[in-house]
Amino acid sequence: MDKFCLNIAGYVIKVERSAGGPVLMPAQRFRKSFTTGDGFDYLIRVHRGGCLIPPGAERVFNAPLVEETDGQTVIKSHEFWSIHKKDNLIFIKTIFPHNPGMHSGMLTISRHPGVWDLELATDDSIADPLAWPLDGLLLYYLTVFNGDIMIHASGVDYKGKGYIFSGVSGKGKSTMARLWEMAGAKVIHDDRLIIRRKEGEIFFYNTPVYDDDEPRSARPAGIFLLEHGKQNMIVPLDGSRAVSSVMANCIQHNWNSEIISGLMESLSEVCGKIPVSRLYFRPESKIVEFILGNGQN
Amino acid sequence: MVSLKQIPVHSASVVTRKTGEEYVLVPVTGNIADMDSIYTLNGTGAFIWEQIDGKSSLEEIADKLTEEYDTDRDTAGKDVLAFIENMIRIRVVEIKEAG
Repeated sequence: MDKFCLNIAGYVIKVERSAGGPVLMPAQRFRKSFTTGDGFDYLIRVHRGGCLIPPGAERVFNAPLVEETDGQTVIKSHEFWSIHKKDNLIFIKTIFPHNPGMHSGMLTISRHPGVWDLELATDDSIADPLAWPLDGLLLYYLTVFNGDIMIHASGVDYKGKGYIFSGVSGKGKSTMARLWEMAGAKVIHDDRLIIRRKEGEIFFYNTPVYDDDEPRSARPAGIFLLEHGKQNMIVPLDGSRAVSSVMANCIQHNWNSEIISGLMESLSEVCGKIPVSRLYFRPESKIVEFILGNGQN
Repeated sequence: MVSLKQIPVHSASVVTRKTGEEYVLVPVTGNIADMDSIYTLNGTGAFIWEQIDGKSSLEEIADKLTEEYDTDRDTAGKDVLAFIENMIRIRVVEIKEAG
């Protein structure tokens, strides 16, 4: 296709092929996020090119390709994706480990909403313009530029109230989502959420990760930081402890003080409005009742 | 080795936010952050952090700590040195060069 529009976390992102650019074929996971209409928040123009970082740009961040197997982290390659900066522009360069036909990609972005340019180095006539890891990187910078929060968390909507369960890998995010789903809750997502402030209210959204993920959102009534425990226990957190503990589970690229500062400001507001607690839990169905009863057995 | 005669300054590569009477500190590391790179300061730590102005020596900060908290001067001096050495270790405070 020549163009398509996505609704992700309430943002309308239009992706458009430029003259000579590859035909666009987004992955299945985006299909239910398609939206229509002329308006957009961001336009991504997709070009074919060599993905050369402009002379004079400074490399500010480099991410190796890391794989986790049986709890062991192994660096597969020291060159995966990197961030470069020159003047007001940021250049995100990456390879695509899951898309061997695409050699590399470079997304050029600025803080101001509008038009971003994506260059793909590919011999193929068809390309996925949002292939991993570009989808996550694009969404990360889009959200931080808008004061949103991208967090390792599952989230559910139970009878109109949203609950966020945050933790790094292995803490029980998807287990918690499954237990709530069994209790009748709608799972917003089981691994990664975007938290946004809109018109004085706070919402959390899923992002397309799995095939046929459709846009979902809820309003959070509580944020729980997951810990495995011998018994169920809720320990409320407030002030700096709440902000720093939630921040530790947020996706962060700490090379830019302005971005860090913006994230801290967003977290301060969210943690000031939504109760934050550390939740020690046993992976059993009664945890749902325990949380709904506010920690009373 | 840090001495009480020296003057501390906040590092240019740390982002701070005050929440109530406490601080959250995040060093600009150039890396994907993890739990180890987010710090909170409360109580005396927050007080000492606020006294760091690029002019006051650690000795003067220890004097202020003695005035503010119910502690003797020796203990305050040791507390300030221990705090500053920890802040230097996590690279959020530096010692001002003489001259």
